[in-house]
Amino acid sequence: MNVIEYNNIIDKLSVQVKSFQEGFSILSGSNTLKELGTNFCHILRGNFFISDVNIFFKNNELAEWESIIIYNEKCRECLPHLKTSTNVNIEYFIDKEFIIIATLPLTDGSFWGLIIGNKIDKTEITELDKITLQMFLQLLDNAYQSFNNQIKEKQLNFSLNHRVVQLNSLIDTGIEISKLQKTSSLFELSLERAAALTNASRGVLQIISGDNVTSGIGFPENSDIKKVFDSDKRIDTFVEFNGVKYLFTLSEKESRNGIVDFDQTDEILLRAFARQVLAAIENEHLHNEAIDKERMHQEIEMAAEIQRRIIPQKLPEIDGYDLAGINIPSLEIGGDYYDVTKLKDGRYLIIIADVAGKGVASGLLVSTLNASLNAYVENDFILTEVADRLNKIIYKASTPEKYITGFITILDPATGTIEYLNAGHNPIFYSSNGKLIKLDKGGFAFGMLDFGLPFESAFIKIEPGEKILFYTDGITEAMNENNEEYSDERLESFFLNNKPAKAEIFIENLMTDIKKHTADTPQSDDITALYFIRKQ
Amino acid sequence: MSSEFNLVTETKDNCVVINTTGYINNVGGQKIVDEFYKYNGNGINNVILNLAHSNVVNSIGISFLIEIIEKLNQTNGKLIFSNLDPSIEKTFTIMGLFQFAKKADNMDEALKLL
Repeated sequence: MNVIEYNNIIDKLSVQVKSFQEGFSILSGSNTLKELGTNFCHILRGNFFISDVNIFFKNNELAEWESIIIYNEKCRECLPHLKTSTNVNIEYFIDKEFIIIATLPLTDGSFWGLIIGNKIDKTEITELDKITLQMFLQLLDNAYQSFNNQIKEKQLNFSLNHRVVQLNSLIDTGIEISKLQKTSSLFELSLERAAALTNASRGVLQIISGDNVTSGIGFPENSDIKKVFDSDKRIDTFVEFNGVKYLFTLSEKESRNGIVDFDQTDEILLRAFARQVLAAIENEHLHNEAIDKERMHQEIEMAAEIQRRIIPQKLPEIDGYDLAGINIPSLEIGGDYYDVTKLKDGRYLIIIADVAGKGVASGLLVSTLNASLNAYVENDFILTEVADRLNKIIYKASTPEKYITGFITILDPATGTIEYLNAGHNPIFYSSNGKLIKLDKGGFAFGMLDFGLPFESAFIKIEPGEKILFYTDGITEAMNENNEEYSDERLESFFLNNKPAKAEIFIENLMTDIKKHTADTPQSDDITALYFIRKQ
Repeated sequence: MSSEFNLVTETKDNCVVINTTGYINNVGGQKIVDEFYKYNGNGINNVILNLAHSNVVNSIGISFLIEIIEKLNQTNGKLIFSNLDPSIEKTFTIMGLFQFAKKADNMDEALKLL
């Protein structure tokens, strides 16, 4: 080789190097496989002065060749000559329609195939051309890798962004669900979000009670739920609350290449959505429970108000007598009762009663007792007969464990004569000549038995200066912090030793003494007392 | 609740308006792309995708929309999303779609953006 030839080669190589640089820049800017092939075709045409450049591609050894750019349809006849081995294969031909057939294996198992016709000037392929072609094939290989890396980068970005979308949607859905008023809306929202974020084609939420599916929601709306269960590519999870099962099923995870298996992330996401639904159902339940409690509280308040009206706010004034009473229920609705009512014959009915137990049920029995008594006061009031009728009414109205102890008296204020009847109540204290007499004649508690056992009444005469204390066991059983009762003995002593002129003062002092005993111990039972003095 | 996918197309000036209904998934995305290529092949380079009646989209559906965006980028075309459900708008924002496409509150605004 002389100097001129050498310099020509140097010049040509210099041009080629520049061409390689430009070529790589063009190829690596390709957005699609077809664009990459087309750009490579342009580079070959420009560098080899050939129009007839045909380019093929196939994804793997077993795939069919896919035409990327075809100049001459006859090139397809040469496809069998494109050899798919692990090495670059280039064959050169002379005096043929196609003078170059080359196969370029790629790192991902795919192949480029080139079938190239004659140069426009009909000259033969030179050694320099061959070297140049090899270098361009290397360039294509590099550009393809770069192209693939760009795709992978895009896929990675897409995947990362999708993860952010999934997390974001999970959080947003939780917030949206908590704002929803209707349970059906939260089911729909959670199902459609779970389906969308896992790329499921379809989804179903079934609500199952025992072995029965009570209702179901499908996604997309109006789609055939059966298709979900017919698919062998599905995932499911369930949450359970109050014996009701909420079963989420998703089917047919989509991809650009068809239906694929769900992965672990999908299962985690589905479970997360199901748990959000569970939390929402629990919250709704608690909310409803709170509303029910509030409603019940209001009803109890109303019942308590009704009962407060049953207990007299002010006792009638009885000429020659001084009366005072008190009722302190331990709950909103108590089971104690007292009343003083004038009968139509001028006598007075005085009653104290205690329903076994406390609360609403006891309050209802107190109301029954009060209503029954009020019905009888309008008629001739024969104490034993009234007691018998009350017993029957209470027996019928109450459950076996509920009954009423009561102490009923009929006072004739003119004479001081008292007819009394003790129906299972604690003995009432009567003070006569400084001595305590316990009044206990009567019978069983009202509502306890209905065997026709007669109630018996007895008579006493209260003289001027004498006193009677009606009370319920909430006083004698009032506990202090050591679980010690106020006791019958202490009440008897208090009754005998406290003789204020006014009944009201006696009641006040009694309450003070009880409070002194119980101190800060919460009241455990209703406290009721009625005290009256026959004036001197 | 989102329903099965459907679309209706109309043309306005040099623009194709694709109105969708239902879940934009593999099926929905493919139908949108097919419709897009049908008009793009005839030289229409501006697209308004009206998603007023689509409130659920999955990532496969999004990949089809990205395909349209890439195609339009090569030909200096425009894609405008209109009437987006807030959850879809947020998803598209995170996925980066608004770097290459615009959004409009309604069709009138979308047409002005062309």
